Amino acid sequence: MMGPDESNKFGVGVAKRLGADEAILMTAISNERMARFANSSVTVTKNVKESGQVVYLAKGGRRIIGSSSNPERASLERFIELLYKSMMSLPKDAGYVPLPKRGRTYKPRPSHDKKLEGAEGLLADFVEEAIGAAESAGARRTAGSLEAGVTSHHMMSSTGTVGSDTSASILLNIRAFTDRDASGHGLSCSSTARGFRPAVAGERAGAHSKMMRNARQLDGEGKTYPVLMSPTVASNLLGMVGEFASAFSVEAGTSYLVDKIGRRVASEAFELTDVGKGDGCLQARTFDDEGQPTQRTKVVEGGVLKSYLHNLSTAKRFKAKSTGNAGLIEPGPWNMEVGAGDSTYEEMVKEMRRGLVLTSNWYTRFKNYRTGEFSTVPRDGTYLVESGEVKAPIRGIRISDTIERMTSSIRLLSKEREWVQWWEVDTPTLCPWVLVDGATVTKAYGESPPQGS
Amino acid sequence: MLLEEYKDLADYCVAEARRLGAEYAEARVHGGKGTGFLLKNGEPQPSMIDDSFGIAARVIVGGAMGFGATNLLSRQKVKDLTATTVKMAKSSAPLVKERITMGDSKTATKKLRVAEKEPVEGADPNWLKSLLLEIDRSVVELEAGAGGVRIPNRIMVASAGVEEKYVVTSDGSKVESRVPRFHYFGILTALKGGDTAQRMIQQGETGGLEIVKRIRLLELVSEEAQTLVEVLGEAEKSPTGIMDVVLSPELSGIAAHESVGHPQEADRILGREGAQAGESYLSRDSLGMKVGSDEAYVSDDPTLAHSNGYCPVDDEGVVSKKRQLIVGGKITEFLQNRSTSSLLGVKNNGSSRSAGFDREPIIRMSNTFVEPGDYATTEELIKEVRDGIYLKSFTEWNIDDKRLNQRYTGLEAYRIKDGETTALVRAPVLEITTPALWGSVKGRSERLEFEAANCGKGDPMQGIPVWTGGPDTLLGGVRIVGGS
Repeated sequence: MMGPDESNKFGVGVAKRLGADEAILMTAISNERMARFANSSVTVTKNVKESGQVVYLAKGGRRIIGSSSNPERASLERFIELLYKSMMSLPKDAGYVPLPKRGRTYKPRPSHDKKLEGAEGLLADFVEEAIGAAESAGARRTAGSLEAGVTSHHMMSSTGTVGSDTSASILLNIRAFTDRDASGHGLSCSSTARGFRPAVAGERAGAHSKMMRNARQLDGEGKTYPVLMSPTVASNLLGMVGEFASAFSVEAGTSYLVDKIGRRVASEAFELTDVGKGDGCLQARTFDDEGQPTQRTKVVEGGVLKSYLHNLSTAKRFKAKSTGNAGLIEPGPWNMEVGAGDSTYEEMVKEMRRGLVLTSNWYTRFKNYRTGEFSTVPRDGTYLVESGEVKAPIRGIRISDTIERMTSSIRLLSKEREWVQWWEVDTPTLCPWVLVDGATVTKAYGESPPQGS
Repeated sequence: MLLEEYKDLADYCVAEARRLGAEYAEARVHGGKGTGFLLKNGEPQPSMIDDSFGIAARVIVGGAMGFGATNLLSRQKVKDLTATTVKMAKSSAPLVKERITMGDSKTATKKLRVAEKEPVEGADPNWLKSLLLEIDRSVVELEAGAGGVRIPNRIMVASAGVEEKYVVTSDGSKVESRVPRFHYFGILTALKGGDTAQRMIQQGETGGLEIVKRIRLLELVSEEAQTLVEVLGEAEKSPTGIMDVVLSPELSGIAAHESVGHPQEADRILGREGAQAGESYLSRDSLGMKVGSDEAYVSDDPTLAHSNGYCPVDDEGVVSKKRQLIVGGKITEFLQNRSTSSLLGVKNNGSSRSAGFDREPIIRMSNTFVEPGDYATTEELIKEVRDGIYLKSFTEWNIDDKRLNQRYTGLEAYRIKDGETTALVRAPVLEITTPALWGSVKGRSERLEFEAANCGKGDPMQGIPVWTGGPDTLLGGVRIVGGS
């Protein structure tokens, strides 16, 4: 069995021998450990070790991409031969852009936290800590998952690019319940074991589960409210601007940001940046899938759309430069940062006067990506604020809005920010609390009796 | 395929886990090979060929469950994987308050092979490209007579591949399967002036490339494009208020999937998915509970021929069967796996599936649908409605994580007046609780149709192919709110 660098070198050699103009071999090796729990009891532990290879070939303007999980020499050779043969049956590809002639070298810098490699020894203590904190804060039971892992990317291209990098993360998602209708949510997401705060996440989930007891339905229907979104909720809704900024989505008409470069798409206070690598990044990458260096790209600055996210192919069509966000077919964000404001949570609640606090949400779905119309379901800690104070827990609501209307109605952002990555947030996002005016709140027709314990 | 070559590794993994003290052990060699092609606005993108293959081990040790997976397929690597999986399970045992057992489900020894008239291996990139270009042309040609409506944005992905598995368990199951599939996904965006409408289309079945003709893929996408043209050109403001609503098979299916199938997954009911996919409004004592009208019948059937969710033996090596979820408005059965059926003391109905070698098997739906009724045609059912809405297709939808509060926004929807469909109406929204929806079922047509979907659940996330379906379903006196 070959190591990643040997395997990449062998693969590029096979591609050249077959006659490919260009080849990229990218090997990703991941080593993950997970513990899941429910009813405050561990339900499963997991260990997954994978080595996957992505192969890109080009010849005479034709392109093809393959992914294989078989690292054996003979299998890789057969796979590349199949790819080459399939590619040659295709016509030229209008989106083909040659790789830069000069290759780059990215020297590995082992800056990731080695404690997160094969970290099964850490899991039990952290799970116990999180559950204990939730129960101390009032939870009757908890459910969650704790995942620690390290992923390394190794690349070689026929144009001389060679590189490798490694990133690590540890993620806790905990939900606490006092009864079936009263739940709270907590997250802790870190690139190091030292920065990981399982007790803080557990305590937060437990406290919300206690506060959510006897939640009631909101009076009225289809009304608009100011909503104060936690970093968890804001990462889901506002972090999506990064996905919409992919030049592929813009070309495909699945983005509301079509033709909006240089135009105002948000309140002046809103800033969104894609970050390839840097302190705290949960998905740090030094180079993208085309071997271009990753960077900091201001997507929205002062409320104005500044840049789409590009790979080489989309950059050429948009007469722009690659932003180091390849995706061989589709560029996309690595890590998003929503700019901080200067408020505290308490000041924002007071400033809101009357509105809703949302601490978690799920099942965001779009009616039309071209317009950004969506709805999402708040869950866990959801509260009515009156006279600048949190007054009552609320259940059974839905937010129906458009992303652009929400980003354009941002009133305040908090100083404090948190990293968020979980089931509902794919791209790791560093995000503050965000106060948005005028969100439309709806609820379902029919009885929705409390579920009790 | 590599399956034959590596079956002995799975057998070895189970034996090794037992030697290390596992009360129950299961191994699965699992792979997939496929070709995909993407067309963006009529322009071919690079073709994609995937080949994924690996082994999964699952054990119960001291009442604790361990899962491990790798694609590094030497005997030594599998030995290491098994040892780590057993060790992690053992060390988690002190944190296991609810001891896990796998019960005594009936074991199976089977070789399953889904037949193909035209083997999916014939779907090379060029074949897929030609298919998509033909579909794309049929959409573009509609613009000529579309009264100013354009469809400039067209994303289309076609893929064909084979999934192969070998599942072996320490209590004697040995199941080998080969399931070919064809799948199509598209997003069409139509524009007229500043107005826009968008449709996601998903089709998928098990079998060979004959699927493309059987499901009339070319005509189907073209019809969907024509609907977008009509929605932008003709649709009127939707009426709102309390009225009768007829759900098409597409709407009946998504409602069955979201608000019957999911809440009747026993693992959700028992809390295992609480942190991610959520729990259920039902409890372990809900069997027999009335949640719908006498006309509400919903089932899940993994044995349907050609179906996207075809899975006659599950990934725990247990024979699956049709599950009657709601009969005459009463909850009659939950979806079970080995551990939930053992815990609840009921028969295992074989609902455990895994999306790949690196994912644990968990309880999944297969093909979930409202059972057909006795109205001969859609028109006959619509005749029952004096003033209402026929929801034929939908765009945005979602539901809360206990599966009580759901929303479906219509795309192709018609006003019903005096028993006949009249004008197209724009974006009517059905936002309704689960008891209100199923409690309002008044009648069902005879026709039974299905849509393909990819259902998400688990952590890490597992997307798994399913069908959702049903007949036309009449809901009496529910609320419609207006869309834009």
